Amino acid sequence: MKDISDATDLMATAREALLQEILPALPREQRYAGLMVANVLAIAAREIQAGRDAADGESSRLFELLEGASASARGLPPLRRALAQAIRTGRFDDGERRAACAAHLARTAADWVAISNPKALRKEAS
Amino acid sequence: MTSSAVQMTTQEENADASLGDKAARWLAREMRANSVSVREFARLPGGAIQDNWALDVAVDGGAWRGEHRFVLRTDAPSGVAASLTRAQEFAVLAVAHRAGVTAPEPLFLCRDQRITGREFFVMRRLPGVAAGHVLVRDAALVPDRDALAEELGANLARIHAIRPPQPELADLAPAAADHARATIASYRAYLDTLDDAFPALEWGLRWCELRAPAPWDVTLIHRDYRTGNYLVDTGHLTGALDWEFAGWGDPREDIGWFTARCWRFGASEREAGGIARVDPFLDGYARVSGRRATRFDLDYWQVMAHLRWAVIALQQAQRHVAGGERSLELALTGRIVHELEYEILHLISQEAR
Repeated sequence: MKDISDATDLMATAREALLQEILPALPREQRYAGLMVANVLAIAAREIQAGRDAADGESSRLFELLEGASASARGLPPLRRALAQAIRTGRFDDGERRAACAAHLARTAADWVAISNPKALRKEAS
Repeated sequence: MTSSAVQMTTQEENADASLGDKAARWLAREMRANSVSVREFARLPGGAIQDNWALDVAVDGGAWRGEHRFVLRTDAPSGVAASLTRAQEFAVLAVAHRAGVTAPEPLFLCRDQRITGREFFVMRRLPGVAAGHVLVRDAALVPDRDALAEELGANLARIHAIRPPQPELADLAPAAADHARATIASYRAYLDTLDDAFPALEWGLRWCELRAPAPWDVTLIHRDYRTGNYLVDTGHLTGALDWEFAGWGDPREDIGWFTARCWRFGASEREAGGIARVDPFLDGYARVSGRRATRFDLDYWQVMAHLRWAVIALQQAQRHVAGGERSLELALTGRIVHELEYEILHLISQEAR
């Protein structure tokens, strides 16, 4: 337990204040904006908690999937670009490679949906 | 009221005339009326790309004399590249309305930008509720869900009965020989303009490319026919709205868009737009068109629908991130891409069913 609040706790506390104290006092036409702010605070808090792990997991799976991507392709954006290109040119169309790629993409999408909108996760995947 | 009274009114309000008043004065000339008085002018909800205003008027003299409930539709300050001009949309609506499609009747088009600063048109205002999250939840508004889905399917088939060539629609982009493949190429070209890569979207595009079905005959397609974009009054469809993306293409694109999970407003188990099971929707479509989408057609064009929504969401995100249009709503729309990727992957993984 921490002695002072970290960013995640600050956001959760700010969100509670917004939903319980500020939102009821907002005029009707500002309610949607208030709900969007509450949503943003929840996403940002989840990304602080889980974003690093999601990105690290994605990177290491990509590195494996692309079998010795060049050292210059380290880091998530170039690895994603390499996979995107390989998919487009049909390198993952068939067989075990296809299954491995599908598994990687499913895992990656689920990790990011868990951050952006966990309610959209299907039960069997959560 | 005499024409000199119109003159006076014009002069009095000239200094600071509102959009509604300017449109009313223009309408008076179009209607050959003595005057058109604005009884109510209020912005209607929805429409990030178009501005819609409720315009209630009282017309003095001429063939239109009496009271009317109109909608004035004009460009919002920030547009989306893919959408039609108001003049094109007016023409599409006119053709559709004449073909018996349940849609608002377009009445007057103003192409002269000197009147209000932008093109606009006036159409009849129809009764009903459009809000998707309300329609899928409120059983009182939709007492017979299957019946509404049937009407929606039948109405979509009436749109798809409109085939090229249509002289009034000559300035719409011509149809691609293979709509699915042309669409895939355009989404790839867009993704190539971005800094980030989206492997899951590429996965969906590759799947669609390898399984592209033989095209159906080209028809008019609405390209935004979904829950949230039609009006329902006393449980029945009163009008299909928002025709700004209409064009020529494979009619199954509209079927996929209507049934895609991303447009079910949380009522995911009801495949027909969160309203009902898919069967009554397909029944209504088949009753009018004689054609029925297969399970594979639905899966294929639902993947396409999620790809299209992902491309639009990325465009919205770009407006916020790079386009100098800072907006919470645009930023959050960009985050929807994760859910869309997740759904694309799910649909593809279900292929064997």
